[in-house]
Parts: sequence; C-alpha cells; structure tokens
Amino acid sequence: MAGVELLSDQGFRIDGRRPHELRKIECRLGVFRQADGSAYIEQGNTKVLAAVYGPHEVRGGRGKALHDKVVVNCQYSMATFSTGERKRRPRGDRKSQEMTMHLQQTFDATILTTLYPRSQIDIFVEVLQADGGNYCASVNAATLALIDAGIPLKDYVCASSAGFVRDTALVDMNHLEESSGGTELIIATLPKSQQIVFLEMNSRLHEDNLSAVMDRAVAGCTDVYNVLDTAVRDHVGETAAAIGGDAA
Amino acid sequence: MLTSKVFIKKTKRGSVMKIVREHYLRDDITCGSRVCGLCEHPKKQQKPPLEENPNNRSSLCKRQHYLLPDTNVVLHQIDVIEDPSVTNVIILQTVLDEVKHRSIPAFKRMKDMLGNPDKHFYTFCNEFNKDTYVEREPGESSNDRNDRAIRQATNWYRQHIRNVDIVLLTNDAENKTKATNAGLQAFTVYDYIKSLKDAGSLVDRLANPLTKVSIQGNKVLFPEHLHLSDIQRGIKSGRYHQGNVLASRENYLEANVSVGGLDKMVFIQGMINLNRAVDGDIVAIEMLPESEWSCPSSLVLVDREERQKEEDDLDENEKEVKNPVPEELRQPTGRVIGIIKRKWRQYCGILQPSLLKEATRHLFIAAEKKIPKIRIETRQAENLTGKRIIVAIDSWPRTSRYPLGHFVRELGNVGEKDTENEVLLLEHDVPHSNFSQAVLNCLPEMPWTITEEDEQKRTNLRHIDICSVDPPGCTDIDDALHCRRLENGNLEVGVHIADVSHFIRPNTPLDNEAASRGTTVYLSDMRIDMVPELLSSNLCSLRSNVDRFAFSVLWEVTDEAELVGKPKFMKSIIHSKASLTYAEAQMKIDDPNQHDTLTESLRNLNKLAKILKRRRIENGALSLASTEVRFYVDSETHDPIDVQVKEIRETNSMVEEFMLLANVTVAQKIKDEFPHCACLRRHPSPPPSNFDPLIKAAKSKGLTVDVSSGKALSDSLDKAQFPGNPFFNTMLRIMTTRCMMQAVYFCSGMLPEDEFVHYGLAAPIYTHYTSPIRRFSDIIVHRLLAASIGADATYPELLDKQKTQMVCNNLNYRHKMAQYAGRASVNLHTQLFFKERVQDEEGYVLFVRKNALQVLIPKYGLEGTLFLNAPEKGAASLFTYDEEENTQTAGDVVFHVFDPVTIQLFIDRSNVQNMKLSVKLVKPVVPGFSVPPAAYKQTTEPPTKKRKK
Amino acid sequence: MEVDIRLPAPRGRLAAKEDDEITLVTPGDVITSDTGFMRGHGTVMEDDSLKSTVAGVVERVNKLISVRPLKARYTGEIGDVIVGRVIEVGSRRWKVDVHAKLDAVLMLSSVNLPGGELRRRSEEDERMMRKYLQEGDVISAEVQNVMSDGTLSLHTRSLKYGKLGQGVLVPVPPSLVKRRKTHFHTLPCGVKIILGNNGYIWLTPTVTESNTGGYEVDLSPVSRGDREEMARLRNCVLALAEQKMLLYDTSIMYAYEESLKFESKVLLKSEVASEIAELAQQRLEHEGYK
Repeated sequence: MAGVELLSDQGFRIDGRRPHELRKIECRLGVFRQADGSAYIEQGNTKVLAAVYGPHEVRGGRGKALHDKVVVNCQYSMATFSTGERKRRPRGDRKSQEMTMHLQQTFDATILTTLYPRSQIDIFVEVLQADGGNYCASVNAATLALIDAGIPLKDYVCASSAGFVRDTALVDMNHLEESSGGTELIIATLPKSQQIVFLEMNSRLHEDNLSAVMDRAVAGCTDVYNVLDTAVRDHVGETAAAIGGDAA
Repeated sequence: MLTSKVFIKKTKRGSVMKIVREHYLRDDITCGSRVCGLCEHPKKQQKPPLEENPNNRSSLCKRQHYLLPDTNVVLHQIDVIEDPSVTNVIILQTVLDEVKHRSIPAFKRMKDMLGNPDKHFYTFCNEFNKDTYVEREPGESSNDRNDRAIRQATNWYRQHIRNVDIVLLTNDAENKTKATNAGLQAFTVYDYIKSLKDAGSLVDRLANPLTKVSIQGNKVLFPEHLHLSDIQRGIKSGRYHQGNVLASRENYLEANVSVGGLDKMVFIQGMINLNRAVDGDIVAIEMLPESEWSCPSSLVLVDREERQKEEDDLDENEKEVKNPVPEELRQPTGRVIGIIKRKWRQYCGILQPSLLKEATRHLFIAAEKKIPKIRIETRQAENLTGKRIIVAIDSWPRTSRYPLGHFVRELGNVGEKDTENEVLLLEHDVPHSNFSQAVLNCLPEMPWTITEEDEQKRTNLRHIDICSVDPPGCTDIDDALHCRRLENGNLEVGVHIADVSHFIRPNTPLDNEAASRGTTVYLSDMRIDMVPELLSSNLCSLRSNVDRFAFSVLWEVTDEAELVGKPKFMKSIIHSKASLTYAEAQMKIDDPNQHDTLTESLRNLNKLAKILKRRRIENGALSLASTEVRFYVDSETHDPIDVQVKEIRETNSMVEEFMLLANVTVAQKIKDEFPHCACLRRHPSPPPSNFDPLIKAAKSKGLTVDVSSGKALSDSLDKAQFPGNPFFNTMLRIMTTRCMMQAVYFCSGMLPEDEFVHYGLAAPIYTHYTSPIRRFSDIIVHRLLAASIGADATYPELLDKQKTQMVCNNLNYRHKMAQYAGRASVNLHTQLFFKERVQDEEGYVLFVRKNALQVLIPKYGLEGTLFLNAPEKGAASLFTYDEEENTQTAGDVVFHVFDPVTIQLFIDRSNVQNMKLSVKLVKPVVPGFSVPPAAYKQTTEPPTKKRKK
Repeated sequence: MEVDIRLPAPRGRLAAKEDDEITLVTPGDVITSDTGFMRGHGTVMEDDSLKSTVAGVVERVNKLISVRPLKARYTGEIGDVIVGRVIEVGSRRWKVDVHAKLDAVLMLSSVNLPGGELRRRSEEDERMMRKYLQEGDVISAEVQNVMSDGTLSLHTRSLKYGKLGQGVLVPVPPSLVKRRKTHFHTLPCGVKIILGNNGYIWLTPTVTESNTGGYEVDLSPVSRGDREEMARLRNCVLALAEQKMLLYDTSIMYAYEESLKFESKVLLKSEVASEIAELAQQRLEHEGYK
C-alpha cells in the first residue's frame, strides 16, 4: 500500500475525516451578473465556477437546433493554475472533452429539455483548483447555476465519489486518495427520488463490495444535497422577500 | 458531530511544488480512559482501553498514572514496552506516524500491542484533535514540532483526566526539561523503569542508552556517517550509490551491496570500509579508486578460538583481507559512507563467556555469521552462559567496535534439541506458536458429518477405487489417484486433492493464520503445521476407508498417454481404498500374482507416468539431483540413530508425474479464467553466467556442458559420464542445481506472459495445486479453480492482483525460510548423530576453495568443509592453490574437483557452546595433514538396519 | 490617477422583510399530492404529486399552481411592453433579441410604415426593410401574440413604439420590472425611461420629441447634462437591481433623489450603491408602497 495509509486503524483518513464524512462545502449562487445563472462551489480544496446562459436561440448554425427539445451545451475546462503542477490545458484535451461529455449526459438527463424546443442552454464550468472530485464539484456547481438561472430541472443533481480502502468505503475522495490507485466510483443522483443519472467506476472492484461503495456514494450525494438545498433556499429567500410583494 | 476547521499544510517535494492539503480538526476524539466522564465514548466499543486503576507502581510517581512515551522511546525501548507488565500506555498518533516512518518492524510490533486488549494501550489521534493539534512554526524543525505536539497532548490529558496522572517518557533531555517546566511529569525511561517496584529483568531489556558509552575509551574507530541530506545530494550527483548490504554468509567483514543501476554487486571489505553497516541495512556507498579494488577472499573465515584480546582479532582479520589481489580478479569495491536505513532485528545467539564473572558487559555472538558480535549489558550473565538468548541491537557508536544491544529473552540451553529447534525456527522467522483460540474456533465441530447439501453439490466418486501413495508415516495425505478403463477403451485418470478450501473460508482468522504461515515447515523431527492438526491430519487428510471431500481433476487418456477431450474439474466425495507407502505400491505393481482392480490401476498409472516422464524430458525438463536424508530416530531419546539418503522408487516418480500433470492442467485453467489474478509459479531461466562454475568443473574432466537451453543442458547432463566415478553424474547435477534460480510464486497480472515459464520442468505455465494441506498457494489456486467452475464464489481479495502478489511475496519468503529451516534442521541432527561417533566415509571433492575443500559425502547427503590450514599457527601451509586449474596441491597429491577422498567425520568439541561437525582427511595421505583411519569402528552395530524394513 | 482598491467583503443585502404566505420551493420539492390541482409553469406531475422544477415562489390561481423562478429568461405575455434589439432581417420579418429563450419576431405586417396606417405593403417595402430597421437597432414594441413554441410576435402599431434613438440600454432580471399601467415615464430630471417587461430598460433624453413615424433618428449630440443624468439613472437602476428591488417609476425616482448627494461615478462603488438602495427602500416603506 505504497507508503500512505489512507485509513488509519483508528478510522481516520489522512485529512482527519472519518470514512463517511464529506469535505467542507461552501457555495454561492449568482456570482456573475452577465450570465443567466452562475454559481461557485468549494468542496474542500476543489474550487469550481459554473455559468449558465440560456435558454436562448441556438447560435452558430441553426442545424444544431432540435425541434423537440433544447440543446444542452457544456464546456469543462481547468485553469492552468488549478493543479500542483502548472500546465496549459487547451480546452480540446481529451480529459476535458471526456468530462464535457459526461456533464452533457448528466444534464441532458436532468433538465426538462422538452420545454424549450429549438433553443440552447450553455453550461460553462471552470475548475479553479483541483483537489479530487472535479467531476462531482462541477456537477454540483452546474446544478446551482442552473437553479440560479431558473431552468426547470427534474431535481437537483448531486454528485459524489466513493472509494474502497481496507474494506471500508470512503466518501468524497480527495486528490491524494484518488491518486493512490484504488477504485473510485463516481455517482450523480437525483437525491429526492434517489435515482442515479450518472455512474462511473475506474479500476476493478469486487461485486460483493459494489453495493457498499454505491450506498456510501449515494449517501454522500444526499449529504451534498442538504448543503446545496440550504444554500439555494437562502439565496432564493432573499430575492423572494424583496420582490414578494409582486408575487402576492 | 464535527466542527471542521480547515488548516493548510504546505509541503515541498522535488522541484518546487506547493501541496495544499486539508487537515480537519475534530472535537469528537475521545481520550480512551475509563475514568473520564467528559468524553462520549462510542457505544459499540465495549469499554475504553485505559483502565480506571492502572497498575503501574513506580517510586517516582506515587499516584496512579498512564504512560505516554515519545517516539524515540517507542523505537528504542520497544522490548521494554512489549513486556506484559507494562500496561496502560497512551500512544499518540504523532508517535505512531514517526515510528512507522522510521521502522516498519517496530511499527508492526506496536500495532500488535495496540491490538492486544490485555496491554490496555490506546492510540490517541492528537493530530486530529482540535485541542492538541499544533502547527509548525516558522523555523521549527519537524522533530521539535513533534516534541511540542507530544507535550501539548500530555498537557491536554493532564487537564482532561484529573484522577490519574500522565507520565511522559522521553530520553531527550531538552524535551524533558521543557515538559517539566510546563508542569508535566516527565522521566527518562531509564529512571522510570528502575523506579518500578518489580523492575526485575526489565532493566536488562533496556536498550543501551547512547550517553553511557564512554567506557570504550574515546578512541574513534570508525569514520563518521554522512548526514542524510549530504547523502541524498551525493546520490543525485552520482558520487554515491544507494544499496542493500548483503553480508557474506561466511564473513561479516565482507559484504556485497546491490546497487540499482549497476549490474554487478559492489564489494565491500573490512570493518572500516563497512563502517558499521549490518546485514540488510540500506546504505550509501562510495566507489574506491580502481587501484584499491579487491575480491572476496575465497577463504572461509576459520572460526578460531576466541581471542582474549580483541585488538589482535581485528588486526589479524584486517591483515588477512588486505592480501594483494591479482588484477583480473578485482571487483568493483566501495566503502560505506552513510546509513540510509537500518534493518536491525532481533538475533539469536549465545553469550561469549566473559573473564570476569561479575562483569555486566558481555559480548554476544549471533548464530548467523553475517552478524557482528553485539555488546550487551546484563546482570544475569551467569544464568545465561550456555543458553541461547535473543538480543536486539540498539546503536553502534563510532567509538565502539561492536554494536550495542540489549538482552530480550532466553530460549534454553545450548545443545538441547528443543532449544536448538526453537533457535532454528526463530532464525528463519517461522511462526510456530500454537494456534490461537480464534483460529481454532473456525474449525468444524466434531464429529464431522457430510450433510445432504454437501452431497448434492459434490460429485460422488466413492465407488471408484482410489488410493493414495505417500512416504511412510505420512499423516497429512493431500493427494490420491485412480485410473480406470472406460467403455470406449480409453483410460480415465483422476487426481484427487484434499479439499482444504472447503474448510478454510476466506477472511476468517484461520485463513489469515494459514496465509501468514504460508507453508508447513518440516524439520527432521517435527512438523510445524500450516493448519491445525484436526484439518491437516484428519478432516482434510485423504485417509483410507473414510469419506473425504476432494477436489478432483479427471482426464481421459489413451494407452499412449494422449489426452482426449478436456480435463474435468469437480468437487467430489471420495472414499480411498488404501493408503499405501511408496514401497507398498511398488510391491503391488511388481507382484505378478496380484490382479485386483487397485493393483491394475496402479500398473496403468505407472505405465502412463513413464510415458509422461519420457515426454517431459524430451521437452527439456531437467532432472536435478539433491540428496535428501532421512533420520532414524530412537523412539525414547528422540536422538537420531542412523541417517540414510532417501530412496527414490518408481512409484515416487509415478505420483510426481501425475501431480505435475494436475498442476499444469490447473495452471492453464485458472490462467484462462483469471488472466489477471491467477496465482502461478515460475522458474526463470538462469542467466548464462550462472553456469560458469559448472562449465569450469566439467571442463576439468574434459567434458563440455551445453547450457544454451534447458533441453541442451538436460541432454549434456545425461551424456556426462566419467569412468570410475559412479557418483560423477549426480555431483554434476548437484552443481547444476546450485546454478538455478529460485522458483517463485507470482500473480499472473504482474508479469508478461512469456515470463510465466517454468525452466526446470520445461512447462510454459505451472502452479501448485496438489498440496493444499501444507501450502497456502494451493489453497488460493483451489479457490480460483472453484470459482472458475462455479463451485464457489470469489471474494474481493482473490481478484485483486496487488493483494494476490502480496500473498505470493509472503509465500515466497516463507517457502524459502522453510527450506532453510529444513536444511538447518538436518545439520542440527547430523551434529547430534555424530555426537558420539567418529567415522570414516567416502566422499568427493565438490568445490576447491582457496583454503578449503568442499567435500560431498553421498552416504549422508552431507557436505563438509575440509580446511587446508597449516596444522599449527604460523607454520606455512602445506597446500598451494592454483586458481586457474582450480586445484590444491600438497607435495605430489593434487586435489581436483570430483576427486574421491576418504574423510573422517567427528564433532569438534573445542568450543562447548558451539559444537560443529568437522572433517579430516584420511585418504589420500598427505603427510603432516591427514589422520589415520578411525581407530575404532562404532561400538554398536546400528540396530536400525532391521528397522528399515 | 486616483485608484480605489477595496478588500473583498461580503455584500450586504437589505434586511429581508419578514414575509408571510411565501412558499419557497426548490427543484424536486413536492408542492402538493392533491390531484385536484392543475399543473402550471415550473411544475411537473410525477407519481401523482405535483413537483417543482425550479427554485422560486409558489403561485396559486384557483386550481392552477405554478412556480415562478426569481430569475429567469423573459417569458412573454400578450400586451407586455418590451425593449429589444434587432439582430436579423429576414423575409418580411425582423428577428428581435428580447432576452427570451427564443428570439422574438416582428413581422413587416405588424409595423406602421411611413405614409399612413392603412398603406398596402408592397414588394418595394420588403426590399426597403433594412432601410426601416437594420441589425443593431433598438426598438420598443408590444407583444402581440405568443406562439405555441414560446416565440413572441411583436407589433409596433402605435406611435409610442418604434425605433429608439440615442440612449442607454440597461439589462436587469426581468422579474424585477414591476408590471404597471404604463411603462413609459418621463422623469422630472428630464430623462425618458422605458421599462421593458423583458428586463431591458431604455433611458433616453427627452429632447427628441419629433418622432414621426419613428424611423428617423435624431443623431444630434446630447448635452453633457443630459448624459450625466442618464448615467446617474443607469447606476441607480443597477443599484436597485443589485439589491433585488422592484423597478418602477417611484422606486427609480427615489433612488435618483437619494443619489443626488453623490457624484454619479461614485455610485459605481458597491457600498454607495447599496446605501442608495436602502434609503430608497426606506422611503418607499415610509410612504406606504409595498
């Protein structure tokens, strides 16, 4: 177990968390004025900005427009300074493209796409600092941004990861844990309906352990949801109070 | 439940890189004490480990107290801490991390102690507690920070627990002062242990405190070790090299260092050059200029009478090894300039008798010659003379010729068989304690019955005439065979292996214990089982006339031993008809009057086996020789009465052939089913240079040995005959064996497929399947095979190639150690056997060395070293050594390799504590060296002759 | 040059009025499991219960339940006044960006062409379309119809609508524009303001009153005084929007009046902006506006 002990005998992980504990989450909605919706999230040291534009008329060639639903266009990118080693990451690099695809699939499944035929929603995600769980933080940030933009969703989409170390499932892996070479399961769920929208696993895991790891990850998603929901209610509450008169 | 504050740790590594890691501080870490009413102890745990009334009686601290050792105390005084009387100790996370970082063995022992409920040890995660975490201040070294963290935690405990004191144990004077100033109770271990009411032998176990070494005189004997940072810089710049010290088996003043990146080992000679490196250490070395290069003195360091004055000893050794070395023999030579990591462990050995009876300082001589003598301090020297003891090294200061150590425990009297066996087991790291209750709880309840469910899951093979063939006295029968004629005229051959994996389920204590033991160890007079006896000798053993579970492989073959169709694997129930010995089976086959099915089946098996063997040898399999001996033991005294080389019968090879077939078949099957995690066995082909001694030896007799391939080697060995020396071929084969690499277990996912090959058997793939009772590898293979035929479920570790490789590594280690232990045991018995005898025997020269001849005595399968020293000290040696021709000449007598000699065997009693088998030359007669034939024959004709039948 | 640097500070929000009757929901929340209700915007029917799809306030009109997100693209309603920008000239229609999910359409047939209301549209007019309105022109218009896919169709068949000349376009979240009887105001400070329901607010000096037919634009320079007033107003509007205060003539006017004690460029500072918004709010409450 190359050097680092990911889980001590006393049940603590390297950073002092217990196996079922998430990293600290901080988030804000509406960070940009320009975008229709935007959000910023910190999950531990992973920091992500998301901006949503739309729905709007399809730009760049009408051919892309779909007659029965909205086009969800995602773009994932990582800042040059986001990792320990400074590295220029052209947007087209394979990792980002894959991530872009994954985000697109996730949100295609969650946005009520049929409500906006012939239009387009852009989701831009930028990782400012990467410390593990980039996909998860991106999904969570994008969810917040979509909510901020008032785009109808089936439910929140919350993502969380889980690994398996010393017969114990660890939720919300940080970079150190991810890079130790063990299994990592990434899951995105609709927490209220407990449905899974996205699931990815790298490296092998015995099927006996799968359910334990999945349960841990899903529980992580639910925890993430609680945090996000509080943030959304705070944010919406303020606005609603201000313009509540109009509503009444 | 969690107040998390994000702290940031910055670390730099390699090039400048800032790593920011989170560090959560918590308020839910409990103190682990039963007296504490403040912490909410987790409910599921029965009770916090630290007791209400810690029973630590010390005159220094009158009140009841818990101990809190710092890192150095744990590292150096682990033997004291391990003592059962030391209880209620708080181990801080800081300490544990540091220990882990600096010494893995100490860390493992620490973990064992933490897991032992009787010790009442508790790990306090002070680094994660919000009250005890301390941040490193600018300019503070990490050691200082850790010391501060330890003091902080001690202070926290002091304020947290009012009823019980906390005693900080530290040997660091500065730390102690600071702690005392902060109002904490801090003592050195030395003072504390001495103050204990029942200190007893604990004081002896204390490691030598570094400060008390001045007695040696201040003469500095060794150059200073470089600082680690200098070493690292030097290694980076290529000036120094890093490597593992492998001390010579014969002489601790010589060592080889395996350096990554260099294809040859770097040779290190002499005490000063070795500079306090001990076997196993990781060191940094510097190459010497080529003019100072040297080569191993192929002389075997003669164990002289211990000298009174060590000075002489040193000088002489120095002189001997400073022989001018001919240039062509020079090897890259270096010297140690620093130690990167010590790999000290505990050593078995004896005390060197001291001149002064009352002295407390003594020298300890380890059983292994690789280890230097160790200076220890003990008051029980009188009790310990003539006993085997265990000693650990603490330090090796520059002023001391020998490392300083401390006494750990005593094993028993020298020369007693039990003690010596114990030494043997300890030296070879063989776990030999009794099985724990947890392990025994995993055994099935007796009487054991076959349930309805078992019947349904398994194929019933009870009707088949199956028998087992084993050596006499074998109780752990793990294989049985059958052969029957099928209706289509073909033969069906079955190999039935005890189904051990049915009883040993994954991840039970039983499984873990077996995995850790890895193999059953056979000593000459005892067997250290891998699994408890109930399984090994009863439930799993395929005894005759009882129903047993087996894992069977069935082949359909023609009379020409051609396989028809695919082999069948099945879990089965068998009912063995007979447990035969090799001799009995042979008699059955040879007796023309017997025609029962069992005999017929044996005959068929034998016939097939011969074909299989022929085919295998044609493929290039080697048949190598090694002599195995068997001791006939007196039933009352358990002392050996007679030794004999084990006899090889046709039936041995018959059983072997089918086991090989089963192993290969299973290997193929599990590799196909589990390409990434199959547990296989490979035997790498040796590099051609390994064969040099063999070719050289053969050449001296005018023979050529072709080593280009296994097949060629095998052929040339078959051809190699030397008239007038019937034993020549066997000796050549013995030498070939020594050229081989070790066969090892490995996990198929870790190597490319073309490296799976088994050189000795000329098989592209091989595994061990047939002895699950005595080898853990076979259990793994059984589980894989069971999973592949759907008879059993897999479990996560089985399919994890890293974990499988880890298991394999352990098995390789245990296997090697078991072999060594077995050999050592034979040696031990040989000594016991010759205790009362002096005997002349025929022998052959196997190797010619600079000052000795290695002689093989075929009758006992023994090798003896015949030293060719001058009979008296100072006199010129009678022999001249010719390195080119590899001969020793004395007058007109010339000794070549393979020459027959007659030698006399006896026990050298000149050293009472360390008896050893000695040989002297009888024939050919060298005047002034050889001895007359044994004056008396054995007084008693061995009664064992009769017993043999 | 004067440089003003401030450390990041949490942006203060005005103390929320303790409000009643507001039901906040977030996506996926069940609004009601009663099947007697009708599904409105921002809700979805799933497993026999009505669930929200956006975060916002539940609105109930008789049996119709809908959830209004607090910030969203503009969804038009017939009769809304909008301000938009022409982005494309097509065959017999203009496409207008109105900050909705789809571009709005202004048909050639829905505009008043120079030369009388009842003039027949000829092919000549089709060729002349770009003469009337070209890409980049800002117009004011009214929603004539909402098509099935949500596209808005506009008309400018009134003299108050049409092409807009010189002025400032201020985009704000559409939900902040209060629906009132009139969205065209001429403020006392001499600036005309059009509060488009789509969140585009147009500020223009009042001088250009010769708007005949609406296709000629007076490009004479605007006096510095007017420009300053417009800038101040723009900043006031943004200050209110930042604090999520509703925008209508009174609120803007109050904010404007409160801002007079500052130089208009100072209004860009966030603390000044929030102060103004706060003062305006206090005044509104004081005067009984809600």
